[in-house]
Amino acid sequence: MADAAIFYDGLSARRRAVSIRITSSSLDVEEAGQWIASWPVGKVRRADAPEGVLRLVLQDEPGLARLDIFDGALQSAVQAACPRLHASNPKEKIGRIVLWSAAAAASIVLCVLFLVPVVAERMTPLVPASWEKRLGQAVDNQIRLIVGDKICSDPQGSAALASLTARLRSSNPAAEEIDIQVLDSRVPNAITLPGGKIYLFRALLEKAEAPDEIAGVLAHEMGHAHHRDSLRKLIQTGGSSYLFGLLFGDVTGSGALVFMSRMLVDNAYSRDAERAADAFAGQTMTDLGRSSAAMAHLLKRIEGNESKLPAFLSTHPVTDERLKVLERLVPREQGAPLLTNQEWRALKEICKTS
Amino acid sequence: MTTSLASTIGPAVPEAVPMSFSGRGREFLKILIAGSLFQIPTFGFYRFWLITKMRRHLWSNTQVAGEAFEYAGTAKELLIGFFIALAVLTPLYLAYFILGLMLEEKHALASIPLVIVMYVLAHFGSYRARRYRATRTIFRGMRFWMTGKGWAYAGRAILWDLATILTLGLALPWASASLERYRMRHTFFGTLQGDFTGSGWTLFKRGVWVWALGIVLVVGLPVGFAAFLHKQGDPAGLWANLTPPFIILLAFLALWPIAMAIFARWQLEGIRFGEVTVSSQLRKRAFVGVFLKLIFSSLAFMICFGLGIALVGFIFKQQILPLLVEFNTVFTHDSELVRESMPGIATVVVVAALLYLVLLLGLGVIQRYFIGRGLWAVMVNSVSVANLPALDAAVAAGQPSGVLGEGLADALDFNVGL
Repeated sequence: MADAAIFYDGLSARRRAVSIRITSSSLDVEEAGQWIASWPVGKVRRADAPEGVLRLVLQDEPGLARLDIFDGALQSAVQAACPRLHASNPKEKIGRIVLWSAAAAASIVLCVLFLVPVVAERMTPLVPASWEKRLGQAVDNQIRLIVGDKICSDPQGSAALASLTARLRSSNPAAEEIDIQVLDSRVPNAITLPGGKIYLFRALLEKAEAPDEIAGVLAHEMGHAHHRDSLRKLIQTGGSSYLFGLLFGDVTGSGALVFMSRMLVDNAYSRDAERAADAFAGQTMTDLGRSSAAMAHLLKRIEGNESKLPAFLSTHPVTDERLKVLERLVPREQGAPLLTNQEWRALKEICKTS
Repeated sequence: MTTSLASTIGPAVPEAVPMSFSGRGREFLKILIAGSLFQIPTFGFYRFWLITKMRRHLWSNTQVAGEAFEYAGTAKELLIGFFIALAVLTPLYLAYFILGLMLEEKHALASIPLVIVMYVLAHFGSYRARRYRATRTIFRGMRFWMTGKGWAYAGRAILWDLATILTLGLALPWASASLERYRMRHTFFGTLQGDFTGSGWTLFKRGVWVWALGIVLVVGLPVGFAAFLHKQGDPAGLWANLTPPFIILLAFLALWPIAMAIFARWQLEGIRFGEVTVSSQLRKRAFVGVFLKLIFSSLAFMICFGLGIALVGFIFKQQILPLLVEFNTVFTHDSELVRESMPGIATVVVVAALLYLVLLLGLGVIQRYFIGRGLWAVMVNSVSVANLPALDAAVAAGQPSGVLGEGLADALDFNVGL
């Protein structure tokens, strides 16, 4: 056949006009009547080429030799002669890709469900207190971005808060450094940051009817601080959201950071963590000779009234079980009130002047 | 027509042959749509296969004097590159995070230093990604390949970026020329070394008016407008707040394709491989046309999408919802459960997420069709190559390179082009 093909030998970029002789076992390439190559038909494969061009390659060949066939008749003849022409482009196994992607997703979900909690549990005691403090500082900045950074600091209210804090701490030598502040927010909530900083939100304070109710909430949060629950939670959400981010191609984990802080505002701890914090609060209040159930009553009251519950109540509501446990803890003898009436009024109005 | 005249008369470009792009738009669209849909059940992992298919299509339909290029990369390589990038980046981030906790810093999570690390990696990765693509490009039975160091390139790029920022963009032509020279002089076709002859001064002369206009619009317009309104005695009106950003946006939409066209033509014209020279007749209006098509297609798609949702939502509310409630009541015999589960916030969230995904993927298809394929076709069709026989002297050399750059590009979300 006439020069209907171009051969590139893979050694140089020379364009060689060739003719092709098709035999039963091979394609023989000839340039001006001279034999230059033989390609076994079983090893000839097709490569990408524009429409109208049949580009052939030789399988398992280290070089990049190419044979471009332009002539339509010759193309059909070659296609008839080479049985495995399309074997190099096996049909893309979309099913396999889907399967492996699902496997990757499943493994990440399993890690989040089972591995991350265990890792968080194990890592929490290993984190030095100074790191936790710094982490808490960073989270603090984020929280204030989300909630707003108006800290209530009416002098008389602050004094009342300080005396309440001192009373709570006196029964718990373990609660070394507790820093309690009131944040001016309309959400009835209280949160504990890594490093032991506790934020009481104004709305919760306003809903309280007695000092014992607030004292109970604070003691409960001190329990979280004592058990380093928020650090554990932070490690867990951080790890989880980083893993999920990986799945969607966010390797930097920048999304994870924001998400972590948000989760802390919606501080949904595990049931066990809540129970432990309740126990801590009950112990504290009993030691002070005050009612442990007051806190539960406050939370129940909010639960009943609010149409839109804050997340920390909706995910872990004050169940009757929790209430019963707290009510069972009755002090043997009544202690002195934690705040005088005057102090209590001052505390309730801590946000007024600022 | 003037272009072909110029190339036949001009003695400087003897026997120049045109390049051409022969791909069918429909075929490319099919690749894009199927690929985008496959990305949903594969959690996005299909992107590596999609990119590979797009490249294969573009490469194999790009021809010089009837000889087509060929893309020999595989999706698996890109996937592996992504995993390698992950293996590099994850410890880096962990180390950064722990270091931030250990060091005495007020804002431990402030991400500015991390951004710098990512910025350096992006330059490094873009060079390595170019190298990957070069070594997977086959022409006339030989591969392109690259030498040079990704870090050396990153160092230069960073210094030039600094200069560009300090000069408010005036140094950009010289930065581009220097970096392009580095890239092209380290690019080989077999034994034939590449070169880049475009000069910063040429680009400056061609593009300085765009730069000046941009500065005038960004700085001058809001100031002038504010002054105008101040005179009118309505400095805080709605118009004062909305008009300048709107005009700036429009101006950028108009200037951006023009700037890109000027840059692309200059970049194409500077390409050399040994004796082989490249010339380009790229017109600004061709780029503007592609961008207009992109904008109007996107708008049309969004309008259709919105109308579609409204229609489906209406039908759902009228016809399907009552049916579902009935079905659920029969099925569960528990009206309270039904009331709780019917509006189902979770369902709404899932549906909204899916719709958002479809919108995003649809816009992605349109963007890739016009920016990926459209600009590529315009550029290829604008090019003529002279002294093509000089390629005959080239002898095969070079090995396929690693894929870390592509992985970094994917993981860090920076664009290395197609």
